[in-house]
Amino acid sequence: MTDIDDHSSMSEDELLAAEYVLGVLAGADRAAAERLLQRDPKFAAMVAAWEQRLTPWAREIADVSPPPQVWEAIAAALPAPPRAGLWESLAFWRGLALAGALAAACLGAFLYLGALNRERPLVATIEGGGSRAFVATIDAKRGTVAVVPAAFSADPTRVPELWLIPADGKPRPLGLLRADRPVFITIPPEFAAQTVRDAVLAVSLEPPGGSPTGAPTGPVIGTGKLTSL
Amino acid sequence: MDLDANRSLIAAALERIPGGDRAALQTVYRLTSAKLFGVAIRILGERSEAEDVLQEVYVTVWRKAAAFDAARASPMTWLIAIARNRAIDRLRAGRQNRRMEPIDVAHEVADTAPAADSALENAQDHARLHGCLEGLVAHERAALRGAFFDGNTYDELAERMKVPLGTMKSWIRRAMIKLKSCLKQ
Repeated sequence: MTDIDDHSSMSEDELLAAEYVLGVLAGADRAAAERLLQRDPKFAAMVAAWEQRLTPWAREIADVSPPPQVWEAIAAALPAPPRAGLWESLAFWRGLALAGALAAACLGAFLYLGALNRERPLVATIEGGGSRAFVATIDAKRGTVAVVPAAFSADPTRVPELWLIPADGKPRPLGLLRADRPVFITIPPEFAAQTVRDAVLAVSLEPPGGSPTGAPTGPVIGTGKLTSL
Repeated sequence: MDLDANRSLIAAALERIPGGDRAALQTVYRLTSAKLFGVAIRILGERSEAEDVLQEVYVTVWRKAAAFDAARASPMTWLIAIARNRAIDRLRAGRQNRRMEPIDVAHEVADTAPAADSALENAQDHARLHGCLEGLVAHERAALRGAFFDGNTYDELAERMKVPLGTMKSWIRRAMIKLKSCLKQ
């Protein structure tokens, strides 16, 4: 590398681009560089070239995992998603969840009055922190539980997992939930006898793939008692 | 993880964002937020400001993803540049948390080996830059480090290295000219 005594090999604009990318400018100088960046494609290309040269230095900075509330804040700041098909539409499912108790009640009444089914459906509203996260409906005859997301925001690093907590207080894993659509889970036959009125459903946040231990390892974001309609 | 695969995953997700694909933004976040959070913490010196900046960065990515051109730039370069600029804006807006301890060139720490990171694909680019930085005079390299990693301005660097402002400007400008010429080779 040869030493250079003047600035002849770089124009003033290019020096400004280099200083801007390095980050040494402040106040009016930085604002001037930003204005030029917006207006002048040649200057913008110089900035991009300096970003290409200097950014590999950031490799020396260690990764730090951000806390989950950062993603929640980002998701909340985005505009409402465009209308999608009914099945894909979270708004639809949220609406359904809010109307869920009523709808299930009607269905329950039908089933009850029609004597089509001796067992009345059990429902649980899974709430935590003042908001309703999921609504679960158990079909005891089929041995399934349908879980609809309500005010639950997805977390990119953890997944919601559903637990059954019967009278003995010991959580049993039922399966993973989704923030963007309902899931239908088959209740393991060995838990069927405990899936009764007054048992509690809970949702915790777990690593992708679910709790590695068979017991909740992450924070419990909501609980709800099973009640019959 | 296969770094080329990682790079194309990020680029492909960035290209889906302008269509309003939230899951694509979430993919970008999952693959890159730890690196960008590290960058913001390094510049700002503390976590809570860095969390605010990280949030601004991904909302900016959501709005500006259409401007990303995979043929011209690496996705990580583009994202890190946004994160550094947002963090520097935040640093300039407040006056607190500046790294202002004197820089002692005689005891300047050697450039560290790359940290274990998940998302920066270009080990070769880093090695080349590292080689060119090693070719600079120690005080030039120390000044560039203070600017790049601590977000220092010309004034702050002059104060930390106890030289007149004009001297600091010519150190940095000369160093940038040398860097460009070395990286061209």
